[in-house]
Amino acid sequence: MNKIMSIQQAVDLIDNNSVVAIGGNVLHRAPMAIIKEIVHQKKTGLKIIKTAGAMDVDLLCLGGCVASVDAGFISYETEYSLAMHYRKAVESGVVKANEHACYTVISALRAASMGVPFMPVKGLQISDLIGANDYFEKVVDPFTGQEITVVKAITPDVGIIHVHEVDENGNAFIEEPLFDDILISRASKKIIISAEKIVPATKFKYSARKAQIPHFMVQAVVVCKNGASPCSCLPNYDIDKMQIKRFKEIAPLDICGYLNK
Amino acid sequence: MHRVCDIMICAMSRLISDGNIVFHGVSSHMPMLAVIIAKNNHAPNAVHLNIPGGVDPVLKKMQKYTSAGKELLTDASSYLPLAEVFDLSMRGGLDIAFLSGIQFDKNGNVNASVIGDYNKPKIRMPGGAGSAVLIPTAKHAIIWRTKHDKRTFVNHVDFVTTKGNVDKIVTPLCIFKMVDGSLQLESIHSTSSLKEVIENTQFEVVYDEIKITPDPTEKELKILNTFDKNDYRNIEF
Repeated sequence: MNKIMSIQQAVDLIDNNSVVAIGGNVLHRAPMAIIKEIVHQKKTGLKIIKTAGAMDVDLLCLGGCVASVDAGFISYETEYSLAMHYRKAVESGVVKANEHACYTVISALRAASMGVPFMPVKGLQISDLIGANDYFEKVVDPFTGQEITVVKAITPDVGIIHVHEVDENGNAFIEEPLFDDILISRASKKIIISAEKIVPATKFKYSARKAQIPHFMVQAVVVCKNGASPCSCLPNYDIDKMQIKRFKEIAPLDICGYLNK
Repeated sequence: MHRVCDIMICAMSRLISDGNIVFHGVSSHMPMLAVIIAKNNHAPNAVHLNIPGGVDPVLKKMQKYTSAGKELLTDASSYLPLAEVFDLSMRGGLDIAFLSGIQFDKNGNVNASVIGDYNKPKIRMPGGAGSAVLIPTAKHAIIWRTKHDKRTFVNHVDFVTTKGNVDKIVTPLCIFKMVDGSLQLESIHSTSSLKEVIENTQFEVVYDEIKITPDPTEKELKILNTFDKNDYRNIEF
């Protein structure tokens, strides 16, 4: 089934207030074209799921699209530093920051991918995060009687993932590092793929290199060269330093100008 | 006079023993270089794990903006993605995790989350990334922080992101070690002084004897300059 559509049609599949998982890690392979379209379409109330986010989460917060962010880390790393739009949105109470360890996001997605309601997490023992958040609970292991912390499953309504190659049916291939994108594809109810390149449906069939995301998990395919820019999609391209710098310097009211350039 | 960043990196490197399995995360140029020095110097069989999942990468071109990029996978021998690095730590297989935070207290509590109320914070920090699960499960958690002042080394952290197996804290002024559940001064860098450490630490600085952190050796500096030609290790100073 041909699932290729325009980016506008694909983002139409994301409802306001839905739970959206974003692929990539910090400034690497974030699905920025889809993120920009979400902001364009003025989606609201999104509950964002990401292990370690940067400009993707920052732009969505600036665009007023976000109700909450479940993540282990939100920052541009050392050189480009803090995600100030995210930070301001949280500090002013507009966005709720649900802090996880990156691993508890992974564990929550694993639970969803296996259809179980929660996942035990060994490491989370002494932490104010447990009491401060309703998605962590301490329970008693029925086998040993020892206490263990569990994290509630996270089932994203939509996962958005940028890949290197896709065919029209949605079979998608990512060049490593994969980060947590394969897990997101298994845990989410719907998957939107944006891809650097469309390949013939026969390519994966006759290649030893198979797509890691099978077509039946994918609802929408958007062909989008440079779809992760200004984040990186290596080996195709590295970050666009000028664009990231420019974005970090814009005032909130300039967002329309930024998106239209 | 040596530079503080070089002293810190070499001090972290010497905490790695041959054969240790070692992980560093995002925003971590300094620990990344510490692992590289160790592998090219005293600990050739140390295992270097990272976010992109490259096991034992040979870093050809260090990036200024990231310590989680594809260059850590390109020349690696095998692929162990982040989720499985965490799994490894959970089952007791990670020897050393390098992590950071914004506030630390004498009892080894680490705050990487918020200043003020968690639900409406005065300052929202990036978050602990892997800290809340790695600090308790890695055999040795080594903290490094590029600031040492009274807002960083406090009597009580605002929020306990985690507490666990913190072994050492490497700062621009000194190295603290955990002894019987409390932080003690282990050594002072040659660029600092006891007075400076005390003046910049909220809690009482306890020590058995005054030791000086060994300066970087010629060989260590040569390795640093080979892998970090553009001096990205110094961008936080």
